[in-house]
Amino acid sequence: MTHIQQVLWSGFVIGLLFGAVAERSRYCTAGGLREWWRDRNPRRAAALLVALAVAVSGTQLLDAFGWVDLRSSLYLQSAFSWLLMPLGGVLFGYGMMLARGCGSRTLVLLASGNLRALIVLPALGIGAAVTLTGPLAPWRLALMEATSVTPPAPGVPDLLRLSAPGHVAAVTILVLGLLLIALIRLRLYRYPWDIAGAVLIGLLIPAGWLVTGHIGADDFEPVPVESLTFVAPIADSIHYLMLSTGIRAGFGVTVVAGVLVGALLAALAGRRFHWRSFDSPGHMLRSLGGGVMMGVGGALALGCTIGQGLTGLSTLSMPSGLAVIGILLGARLAVIMHEAVVPGQPAA
Amino acid sequence: MTGNRSRRRDRVPGARLSFGRVVVATMVSVLLLGAGNATAARAPWERVEVIQELLNGAEPQRDAIQLDLPAVTQDGSSVAVTVDIESPMTQDDHVERLYLFALGNPSPELLEVRFTPLSGRAGISTRIRLDSSQTVVALARTSDGDWLADVRDVRVTVSGCLSRDDTYASEDLMQTRVRVPPNFERGESAEVRTLIQHPMETGLRTDASDRPIPENIVRSFEAHLDGAPVVTARLHRAIAANPFLLFHVAPERSGELSLSWEEDTGDKAQVTAAVRVD
Repeated sequence: MTHIQQVLWSGFVIGLLFGAVAERSRYCTAGGLREWWRDRNPRRAAALLVALAVAVSGTQLLDAFGWVDLRSSLYLQSAFSWLLMPLGGVLFGYGMMLARGCGSRTLVLLASGNLRALIVLPALGIGAAVTLTGPLAPWRLALMEATSVTPPAPGVPDLLRLSAPGHVAAVTILVLGLLLIALIRLRLYRYPWDIAGAVLIGLLIPAGWLVTGHIGADDFEPVPVESLTFVAPIADSIHYLMLSTGIRAGFGVTVVAGVLVGALLAALAGRRFHWRSFDSPGHMLRSLGGGVMMGVGGALALGCTIGQGLTGLSTLSMPSGLAVIGILLGARLAVIMHEAVVPGQPAA
Repeated sequence: MTGNRSRRRDRVPGARLSFGRVVVATMVSVLLLGAGNATAARAPWERVEVIQELLNGAEPQRDAIQLDLPAVTQDGSSVAVTVDIESPMTQDDHVERLYLFALGNPSPELLEVRFTPLSGRAGISTRIRLDSSQTVVALARTSDGDWLADVRDVRVTVSGCLSRDDTYASEDLMQTRVRVPPNFERGESAEVRTLIQHPMETGLRTDASDRPIPENIVRSFEAHLDGAPVVTARLHRAIAANPFLLFHVAPERSGELSLSWEEDTGDKAQVTAAVRVD
């Protein structure tokens, strides 16, 4: 097997694990935030923090041992757009609440029989492609150029001029802080299975870095250094389905395929596969709008709740932090605007 | 239409043009024009002067040569291309030269490779720059003087997300990397991968203060096995930065592969690698 085939198959296995674990543990950023903010139930939101803590510690270990050159990844490029990162994040966050699930969650839902995902996924993928390479691309590039800034360094530890021991101490404090908040303050310690699921999902982020940045690091044909993310890969998967005779699949595409298969197997094994569809045209319109917003926003902000929220933050990138703040703002806004008026959703 | 109208003014008796006749006449003429164009349809390379000069009237065959490129690419600054030509590669019957052209680039020439029977297989891989969506042509000449050609259309979309650094660390300049298989079978061809760190400045870019950056490229590459040429290549400015070249060698006995690159300034880089035949 060439190193490229190894990367593709490893991507499939990582996707398989992600799909199975996310299906079993109902890992979902949109759902977690909604239940926390609306129902005062922080259980699923706490799992997000545990996954983030594990992703950050694992990725920073890889970086410290020099196994992966994170600096060549998308998240630590020298320039970024101060406008598009947070703006794309807000669009994505709002859209994910409308569609009731971000990109990865929608893949898992589709594999467990939820036909609503058949509206959200194409809307997300085509929305992203329209923005990345389609009619909106020239506008995106013009806006990006007009609002591009070059900070002294893209990584937060470098921005704070931390020494090597300072870097280790800061990461340790961050990770312990996240774990303390999740386990004690938000009382996740009562749900060991939720913790296990979140730890596994967090571990898949450094696993992805290791695959593309270590197995894929060929002198002559290096694979782009990346880890789990779902906006561009869903668009690329649609491209691949249409053009597979003329283009090659990348890591992201095999991850998407793996997530679908993994979630399907987990749902069948757990007897949780149920056909579901829309209740009303209004419901369908919300999903469609949410999908488009996630696609466009995710393309502008270079990632989703996983791509920026876990993978981006795991590199301690400052622009990723901006994108995630945007996602949280957008999600909060959507909860304020919609959750109180959506009928049939009892508030706690 | 103007022709029809002027004839109408002549008022030739018995030849009055009804609306229906005009429509039919127009349709017939359009069909005839279309048919004329179809018979005159020309291969895409025939519009390019350099290629016409090379072919000098010869009609290339399309079957024995395979040009491989992605149909769609998001990064026109580095597009992987592979050419493979079916040939016994013996002294009497081998591929002598291969030319690559990108018809939509500011200058169409990409690469010119000379093979020898020692190559064992007439195939190369490299990475090229494509200015926009366009047609790429591979043209090869055999030792019999026959021409082979293959054509691919490539769609180049705007670059995805990655911004590229425009600066090159000068200490890395002209650093080379070579990968030769640990051992060869006698007379069987195997792949050799080579790469040299170089910006391949096209001369078409300007720097931050709008001054043109002068052209500076690696212009040639040579591979010799114990002094005998294996492949030689002439690189043009649309070869992607850090020129990558994969070629084949079919050694009869163990020896030393010597590789050299030459910049347009005359600077050279040279490296040798052992070839072991079991």
